[in-house]
Amino acid sequence: MIELNGITKVYRTGSQSLEALRGISLGIGKGEFVSVMGPSGSGKSTLMNIVGCLDTPTAGEYVLDGENVAGLTFDELAAVRNRKIGFVFQNFNLLPYATAWENVELPMLFDGKNAKKRRERVTELLNAVGLLDWRDHRPTELSGGQQQRIALARALANDPPILLADEPTGNLDSKSGEEIMAILTELWQGGRTIVMVTHNDHIAACSERIIRLFDGQVVA
Amino acid sequence: MNATLPRFFWSEYRKRHKRAALITFALFWGTLSILLLMAFGQGMSTQFQVAFKGLGETLIMVYGGQTSLPFEGLPKGRPIALYPEDIDYLKDRIPEILRIAPESYNFLPVSANGKEINRTVHGTTAEFGVMRTQVPQLGGRFLNAADAAEGRKVAFIGWKVATDLFGSADAVGKTIVIARVPFTVVGVLQKKIQDSMYNGPDAEQVYLPFHSYQQIDNRRRINQIHIQPREDSQSKLIESRVKTLLGRKYRFDPDDRYATSFWNTIDDAKEGMAIFKGIEIFLSIIGALTLLIGAVGVTNLMYAAAKERTKEIGIKLAIGARRRTIIAQFFLETVFVFTKGTFWGFITAFNIVHLIRLAPINYDSFGIEAYLLRPEFSLRILVIYVVVLGVLCFLSGIFPALRASRANPIESLRYE
Ligand SMILES: Nc1ncnc2c1ncn2[C@@H]1O[C@H](COP(=O)(O)OP(=O)(O)O)[C@@H](O)[C@H]1O
Ligand SMILES: [Mg+2]
Repeated sequence: MIELNGITKVYRTGSQSLEALRGISLGIGKGEFVSVMGPSGSGKSTLMNIVGCLDTPTAGEYVLDGENVAGLTFDELAAVRNRKIGFVFQNFNLLPYATAWENVELPMLFDGKNAKKRRERVTELLNAVGLLDWRDHRPTELSGGQQQRIALARALANDPPILLADEPTGNLDSKSGEEIMAILTELWQGGRTIVMVTHNDHIAACSERIIRLFDGQVVA
Repeated sequence: MNATLPRFFWSEYRKRHKRAALITFALFWGTLSILLLMAFGQGMSTQFQVAFKGLGETLIMVYGGQTSLPFEGLPKGRPIALYPEDIDYLKDRIPEILRIAPESYNFLPVSANGKEINRTVHGTTAEFGVMRTQVPQLGGRFLNAADAAEGRKVAFIGWKVATDLFGSADAVGKTIVIARVPFTVVGVLQKKIQDSMYNGPDAEQVYLPFHSYQQIDNRRRINQIHIQPREDSQSKLIESRVKTLLGRKYRFDPDDRYATSFWNTIDDAKEGMAIFKGIEIFLSIIGALTLLIGAVGVTNLMYAAAKERTKEIGIKLAIGARRRTIIAQFFLETVFVFTKGTFWGFITAFNIVHLIRLAPINYDSFGIEAYLLRPEFSLRILVIYVVVLGVLCFLSGIFPALRASRANPIESLRYE
């Protein structure tokens, strides 16, 4: 499903350049639940962003679902992000002025789904994360755990086969974190491919496999 | 288009546009300026044409003169006069002539109602009334063909002559005495604006049927001939044919520039129109520049919006917004800002023009206010305005929109 070959990412800031990823090669199969671990600054987020098509590698090849991502245009990448990949961020990244309902609905709007389909799907997702009653609330009126569940519902809006989560529980208390993990586990059992970054061994234990990064390289 | 996207746009829009009051005002002011300046420009052109029509339709006036070239053994310096027979002589030979009328005049005492005044009294025909826009007030008429045929003693007088002699009373039907001959007033000239004249404004004149006039002024020669061409473009041709024909009749060189002289109002009109068109264009450009200031403000506003919303744009891109979605939002917003700013400008300009037009114009002294107090709107102004506005709106929106849509999703997300 996900194949990375010699992925390198160099950040340039002024005259400085920093190699955040140094020749990462790995494969993640369909339906796998993988954790990415490593110390802060080891390149986990950088890797997730590249896998999530939010950023492009400096060198190396990324084949997603049999397709080389390097050849895609801006809008084609947008379509991949829209339909194939759901992304959950550590800091939620919800639109502040939009309600819970609208935040979940937005990816479907970008996909051009009709009103009826959207209504059904948003209802279904908000129900699944237990927040249908909070549909008209804005992110600031929700707790961190609730916001992350909204973000998770949004990531699933277009039913993507892959779910990427960059420290989804990093900003949450342990109870909220467990709720999120329960949903992720359920999604994986439902056949979704999941890649999750975490610092927490306990949380990583939910996954099938752990990829360890150190200084931009895979160590085990 | 579904309703949710516009609703999102609206939420984002509202967030910052409370601050945009100054820009809204600049657009309002710009719209007001361009519309008013164009309306004044066009109004002035129109008033110029109206005032020009005060003299009459496009006319060629022919006068006699004095030869300046020897011709067929005749010496130079011979006076050339025009005679009543010249009317038919020219009309029969120049098919391009639509109307032709003789005119003779003299400064004569006119008395009635116990008052005596001196006025220029003219002898002419019915055609003159049409050519020189001698429109009668209600209840009266200009001289007609029957007056000429029956040699009636009737008169058509200017509105100031009427008030000078009869005050506010109706002059029609009253008798006026000119050089001891009584004439019945059949019509009074309706008020009109006139900026081009000889012998003073038409308001001060007295007109008699040509043959009746000859009984009080025994000169046989006439002062001038009025010619209206079928087409304005034929005026030069008519001029040269008149010279040739009169030259043959009165024996002078057709190239002699002083044997006869011409006043061709068609040339004057063209020149005047060119000047007023120039003023119109100048005013429109000033107006457009004022609007440009507002447009620059909108561009700044949209650039600021693009920057301020970097994070939101990043989120949208991250969940699959395409470039055109971002561009569309910025564009929509630009259009909205423009609409809001310009709408009231449009309404205000419209009302100001309407109010100014209510101001009365003094027809007795057709001054500068007659040009300034009649601004007008037209489809042409509307079209120019919409095109200018559209271009400015597009230009102010496109660059910020492109900038916003070119963002890198991850960099935008990182933006705080
Ligand atoms: N946009 C960026 N510009 C410059 N350096 C960056 C940028 N993003 C990340 N880095 C650097 O790259 C390295 C890897 O960062 P990151 O992938 O965020 O690590 P992690 O998520 O494992 O903490 C860090 O040293 C970080 O400072
Ligand atoms: Mg990180």
